[in-house]
Amino acid sequence: SKIEKPKPLKCGTFGATSLQQRYLATGDFGGNLNIWNLEAPEIPVYSVKGHKEIINSIDGVGGLGIGEGAPEIVTGSRDGTVKVWDPRQKDTPVANMEPVQGESKRDCWTVAFGNAYNQEERVVCAGYDNGDIKLFDLKTMSLRWETNIKNGVCSLEFDRKDVNMNKLVATSLEGKFHVFDMRTQHPTKGFASVSEKAQKSTIWQVRHLPQNRDVFMTSGGAGSVHLWKYEYPAQRSKKDSEGAEMGVAGSVSLLQNVTLSTQPISSLDWSPDKKGLCVCGAFDQTVRVLIVTKLNKV
Amino acid sequence: MPVWLREYSWRQTPAAVYLSLPVRGVRVTPASIFCTDQYLKVSIPPFLFEAVLYAPIDDTNSTAKIGNGIIFFTLYKKEVAMWDSLTLANANKEKLQCLRENAILKAQEKAKEETEAKKVTKQEHKKYALEATMKLEEAERKRIEDLKEKERQKFTKELELWQKEQQDAEKQNRVRKEVELHQKVEQLKERKKEKMNKTRIPNEGTSKTGLKAVKGCHGSHSMFSENLKEEQLPPPRSAATIKTTFTSRVFPTALRESRVAEEEEWLRKQVEAQRTISADLSELEDLKEEEKSPDWLKDKGNKMFATGNYLAALNAYTLAVRLNNKLPLLYLNRAACHLKLRNLHKAIEDSSKALELLTPPVPDNENARVKAYVRRGTAFCQLELYMEGLQDYEAALKIDPKNKTIEEDAEKIRQLIQGTPDS
Repeated sequence: SKIEKPKPLKCGTFGATSLQQRYLATGDFGGNLNIWNLEAPEIPVYSVKGHKEIINSIDGVGGLGIGEGAPEIVTGSRDGTVKVWDPRQKDTPVANMEPVQGESKRDCWTVAFGNAYNQEERVVCAGYDNGDIKLFDLKTMSLRWETNIKNGVCSLEFDRKDVNMNKLVATSLEGKFHVFDMRTQHPTKGFASVSEKAQKSTIWQVRHLPQNRDVFMTSGGAGSVHLWKYEYPAQRSKKDSEGAEMGVAGSVSLLQNVTLSTQPISSLDWSPDKKGLCVCGAFDQTVRVLIVTKLNKV
Repeated sequence: MPVWLREYSWRQTPAAVYLSLPVRGVRVTPASIFCTDQYLKVSIPPFLFEAVLYAPIDDTNSTAKIGNGIIFFTLYKKEVAMWDSLTLANANKEKLQCLRENAILKAQEKAKEETEAKKVTKQEHKKYALEATMKLEEAERKRIEDLKEKERQKFTKELELWQKEQQDAEKQNRVRKEVELHQKVEQLKERKKEKMNKTRIPNEGTSKTGLKAVKGCHGSHSMFSENLKEEQLPPPRSAATIKTTFTSRVFPTALRESRVAEEEEWLRKQVEAQRTISADLSELEDLKEEEKSPDWLKDKGNKMFATGNYLAALNAYTLAVRLNNKLPLLYLNRAACHLKLRNLHKAIEDSSKALELLTPPVPDNENARVKAYVRRGTAFCQLELYMEGLQDYEAALKIDPKNKTIEEDAEKIRQLIQGTPDS
């Protein structure tokens, strides 16, 4: 059945609902966050005008039987703010990451939850168009880490939301992506990373395979998808000259790639139930269901 | 005059003619034998043998064996017949000439045809090779496609099986849950009955809720589990704000590494433009509007130069340069002032700057460049750096070879250099 809403929708997630309810949280071009019950879609279950400009990215945690803690939704918008919402609290976000007074704002292009391994811990990672990546810790309500990858950040994902943060993949313009090892944070150098240039065009999205957190797929602006595997180094951390712990990044290898379309593939997702089944949507107005075989042998 | 070889012997069978020709003292190569279907010639300077044959022969199959001092021809006749003689009897000079020419033409044509035939066969071989490789590649591609197809089918079968399993599992789950629910409801009912019996207070409220639970069981049969879960969820976080700062960026567009160089260039130009504008503002407030234009200042400078007021001209040009340091003529004219004032080093500097600005060298700025070279050359010479001066004069000459004065000056410098070899 077809459901139409007054404003175009940019992004959506099922991440914050329970498996039975299956409410879809969407962000639209007008900056509104809505949560819909798809069986009664006329009136949203939750609605708030969260941002002044388009909500570019949304993520949910605490639902779907994954992880512990309160269900929360985070939205990142072109107005430069990142806000965390609890569906039980109306109108005001539970956390708001906004620019300092007088600072010119940068578009926030992507947000991701991570580190939600118990009820208190949670982090939100946000990527901006000027290449900034910022990691906010929601337990201490502070900025835990930031870096700049020299290209606008298109997509961020932790390899698992519900474990102690392990790996973070950030994809950007100019065909580059970075894999950060999030287990060891050095006081000045931050997290160790390895980066790879996959292609000349923008990498629009990265998604980790739910069944194997070292395998992920990136989708590109040239209509191609690439399947990658991360290999851990022999030692994940070592001591530097002052004795502080420093992370060691591993290596990434390309398993397979295929060109599906001439237009960018802007979003993709894996099926949590069937290993290797994924779906992707592209600018050529098609939704493609893909099958990746032999993932057992990876 | 060639020496005709007349000693030969021949014998024939109905199908062939065997001719042996003694050739003494010279080396015979295949090139010296020329044969067409009715004409045979052997030419080894100074010896010559030719024969207009009685009847046509098959010259492609005929052979010539070159032995020690003798050539042995085996000529196969086109028509099986016995010849009266080897050569045609009535062969006058003209006929001979005609025959010779025809023979040569025929030979050429044959050669051409042969090359054509060779070309054609080569083409065909190439085509064949190409088709063969294409077939091989096709086969390889097909093999890979087949593998993929097989995988695809295997996976779709697995998928269908898995889907069926899921559906079956769901059905079972649902059935099981309904059974459980019924059991629970039953238990509740019993407990309520007990309570009612015990207290004898009509607890309509509780019974209603119990019934409601039964009614709503299909849609939200997990209501019980949900209520339990809600109690376990932590309360919403207390609201807080985190202030963020961004890595500064002048442009509103997203950062791309490939554009960084262009952006830096643009910013640099903006800064420079700003600088010249601000230079204007500081000291030139007492000048009128028109006096701030470099062109006007240049004209003023030229006038003062013409009247001999070199210092004033210098000042005018300097001010003009401050306003716009990209005009080569300003530097050129300032170099002339310096020359007159004998500031030789400054003259060299300004001529060099003018030359720099006058790249690329095109016919339009020929005059300017000649002047620049001449002025620099003069400055060098006055500093007694004659080699450098000569170089500049020669460069000027290269641009404008017809200028007599430059030539004469260049000559003078050369003499000076030669006249004092030790200095």
